[in-house]
Amino acid sequence: MLQQIPYRAGEFARDVPRRLRSYRARTDDEALLIHALGGLTTLLTFVLFFQSSKWTVIPLLGFVAVTAVGWRRQQAEVAKGLTFLTTIATVSILALIIGFLLWESKDIVEHMGLGLLTKAEEPLWGASNEGQIYSLTPMMMGTALTTLIATAIAAPLGIAGAIFISEMAPTRVREVVKPGIELMAGIPSITYGFIGLTILNQYFYAEFRTPTIGNYFAAGIMIGLMALPTVVTVSEDAISTVPESMKSGSLAMGSTEWQTTKSVTMPAALSGVSAGVLLGVGRAMGETMAATVMLSHTKGFPSPAFDVFSNYGETLTTVIAFEGGSASGLQLSALFAGGVVLFFTVMVLSIASQWVEWRMQQKLGGEK
Amino acid sequence: MSNATETELRAGHSTLGRQVALPVLGLAFLTFLATWATTFQWIDETRTVLGMTVLTLFGVALLLMAAGVAGIGVLSRFGFLDTTPSPTAGLPVGIVFGTLWAFIGMAVSLQYIGNTIVYWGPIAFVLGAVGLLTATLPREDIGSTVPSAVLLAVLGGLIVAGVLDATWVYEAEWTGAIFPGSELIPLLVSVATLLGVWSAGKAKEGFGAQGREVGAFYIIGTVVFSMLSVLALLIWFIVKNGLDTFLTGASLTGGHLNVPFASISFPFIEVPFVTNVTGSLFVETPGVMPAVVGTLWLVFGAVLFAVPLGVGAAVFLTEYADQGRFTQVVEVATNGLWSTPSIVFGLFGLAFLVPRISGGNSIFVGQLVLGFMLLPLVLITSWESIKAVPDEYRDASAALGVSKWQTIRSVVIPAAMPGTITGVILGVGRIAGETAPLLLVFGGAPYPSKSPNVVGQFSFSTEPPFITNQALLEPASALPYQLYATITAGVFPRPEIYSNQEFGWGTALVLLLVVLGLYAIGVASRLYFRRKLHYE
Repeated sequence: MLQQIPYRAGEFARDVPRRLRSYRARTDDEALLIHALGGLTTLLTFVLFFQSSKWTVIPLLGFVAVTAVGWRRQQAEVAKGLTFLTTIATVSILALIIGFLLWESKDIVEHMGLGLLTKAEEPLWGASNEGQIYSLTPMMMGTALTTLIATAIAAPLGIAGAIFISEMAPTRVREVVKPGIELMAGIPSITYGFIGLTILNQYFYAEFRTPTIGNYFAAGIMIGLMALPTVVTVSEDAISTVPESMKSGSLAMGSTEWQTTKSVTMPAALSGVSAGVLLGVGRAMGETMAATVMLSHTKGFPSPAFDVFSNYGETLTTVIAFEGGSASGLQLSALFAGGVVLFFTVMVLSIASQWVEWRMQQKLGGEK
Repeated sequence: MSNATETELRAGHSTLGRQVALPVLGLAFLTFLATWATTFQWIDETRTVLGMTVLTLFGVALLLMAAGVAGIGVLSRFGFLDTTPSPTAGLPVGIVFGTLWAFIGMAVSLQYIGNTIVYWGPIAFVLGAVGLLTATLPREDIGSTVPSAVLLAVLGGLIVAGVLDATWVYEAEWTGAIFPGSELIPLLVSVATLLGVWSAGKAKEGFGAQGREVGAFYIIGTVVFSMLSVLALLIWFIVKNGLDTFLTGASLTGGHLNVPFASISFPFIEVPFVTNVTGSLFVETPGVMPAVVGTLWLVFGAVLFAVPLGVGAAVFLTEYADQGRFTQVVEVATNGLWSTPSIVFGLFGLAFLVPRISGGNSIFVGQLVLGFMLLPLVLITSWESIKAVPDEYRDASAALGVSKWQTIRSVVIPAAMPGTITGVILGVGRIAGETAPLLLVFGGAPYPSKSPNVVGQFSFSTEPPFITNQALLEPASALPYQLYATITAGVFPRPEIYSNQEFGWGTALVLLLVVLGLYAIGVASRLYFRRKLHYE
């Protein structure tokens, strides 16, 4: 799918004149006028809003009027136009997010250069006698540590849970366990954070004498628990899409259920399961509130790097949540740069997982 | 399968191996539960049972398990037991034991020999190789019992001999934290019991394919059981800690339900914590009403924004657009939007919406940002459910001469409604608890003294934009935001009534009730619609 997009985009562009002609032939003049007016007013509304003009409301009212008139006269065409607009709106939200993140982080990139992502000596963050220095390196390290711990918890447990639900559990147990896991996904992250803060952090501080209340390990455990349901549900979906005929074939040869799971179902579902794990990693990376509440917000590098009980504790998400409300100037720009790093990492994970899932459908979904 | 003919014979009579394996399994499960009870401090590790401390008891249990497991393995190897082992336990088992032994070698040599890879590297490697070979080279009945029995026996022996006890402390070189025996031993024992469960499970079914199946079942079952216990514990913590706050001054009949337009009022359930404002000095029980109202307005606005957009786009993509080119781009974009971290949405709102709409934190921007977050989920679920509408419906409608748009409006959308509604409810459950973007674009005073009055604040003017609503352009409080504020900077204004923590737990409970209520409705409606579809 993805490797075909450039090719398809080219084909699409070449196709445009034919499409326009076909659209013209299928649409009568009145509908054409309504489409044109609707598109124009939408565009004007957006441009004026973008300029923060107080006249934004005029084209908006115009759009409402065109839609209302059109609805009475050409309902089918207006409906088609409206649904097209909503589709465009959805895609443009993503485009706007990318555009604004890049635009807002331009200042700090000009100021820090590549040092924004690589600088590892003090001072790391803030205004000092060396001028304003903002380095995202310690936060990227923190995100990597918490994500690693979270994945180490969520991936094996999640896959085990998925196997249990789809292959082992009797129907009655499955009907309880599956909604239970989904419920787990619904508990707000701030609640996980509150429990982590009052129970987990205190436990580590009191029993393991960590240098501060709050460390990467405790936060990683909590984030892992939160990413767990994502891994379970996506992997479970993947395992249950393996055609029943494959399993029956294996069972008919005299294999046990576990041999079938191990040697037939899991290899077939492997790509879907890894898509689930990738999505879980993305969730863990973007998880904000639990980490914000639990970590110490001290920026720096633990030594050795795997000392997850150190007094340092800051990730890309926590620094944005913790300082975003009061930051301005270069600091705010640095936070946006953090958002860019986060966004593109998660986006790569999301696209990778979609690609993997698409491969699986190509492989297994023969009859579809 | 070599054992296919023997299975029948063996199932008939109870073997000695089975009789030994069952008590070992029971002991392992009990020990597993007890270790976690100790970690959660429901059992004090210094308590004495049967003349031994709990930790020593763990050691004895491990030794017993080791003896039982090794006994079955050895007896089976010399043919005293009726088992069907494979020639080897298999490479994966070897890798697990090899890794375990390599870690043990690493930890011991790091602690007692030196902190350089020249020392601990070779030791870890050699021990790992020994672990791998002892598990893979012998026949399966030895390979899957003796290595775990050795591990159990070493750990159990060290505990019983008193080398590892509650006062023993592992002071690692690589961190400032220390690991006291009172916490570390239960953890190690619980991992060891998992090994014991696996070996005993295999032994119970006489090894071979059947044994491996049972072994895997026990391990995975234990893991899933622990996972669900964690879920139950999380909810129990919140309910236990929040219930007192939640029920302050509550009574079944203390309140009044006023019937509108008639001056009648009935006795009604009264929960002041939910119905009172937070900040005023004049309320007896400070409550979370403003935050509840704030959350409701946020959710309402987000749904109003996201549902038409999402459903409209789903209709276009399934009914009008050519499948393939454009739709794939939209699908990738939507999934990308769905996995975008919530804090990034907050940053976007801060850069794009705040300066253009309110110039500061406001309810309206919060609604839009949460709407952006809800949009991909609405789009994905309604897309799925419109795709699931059978083509026969569309064909039947077209055969009656109904136009395409009429078909969509009166056949496709109604048929796809159940799935969409479920998706929206689940999505609302998610955004109602969302906090991160609210910190950047929404939050105001954490303990407001009045609820936002959105309905009463619409005003009209002849100047553009003609309609304004001051309340929508002001910051407010919402349940998750209020919980965050209480946790971090919170100085609760009425410390004589609630401490910070008490108020926090109360808020968390209300939030949990709101969110889980929405989830329960979503899951139930999905079950309901699924049953209905099955009957058709």
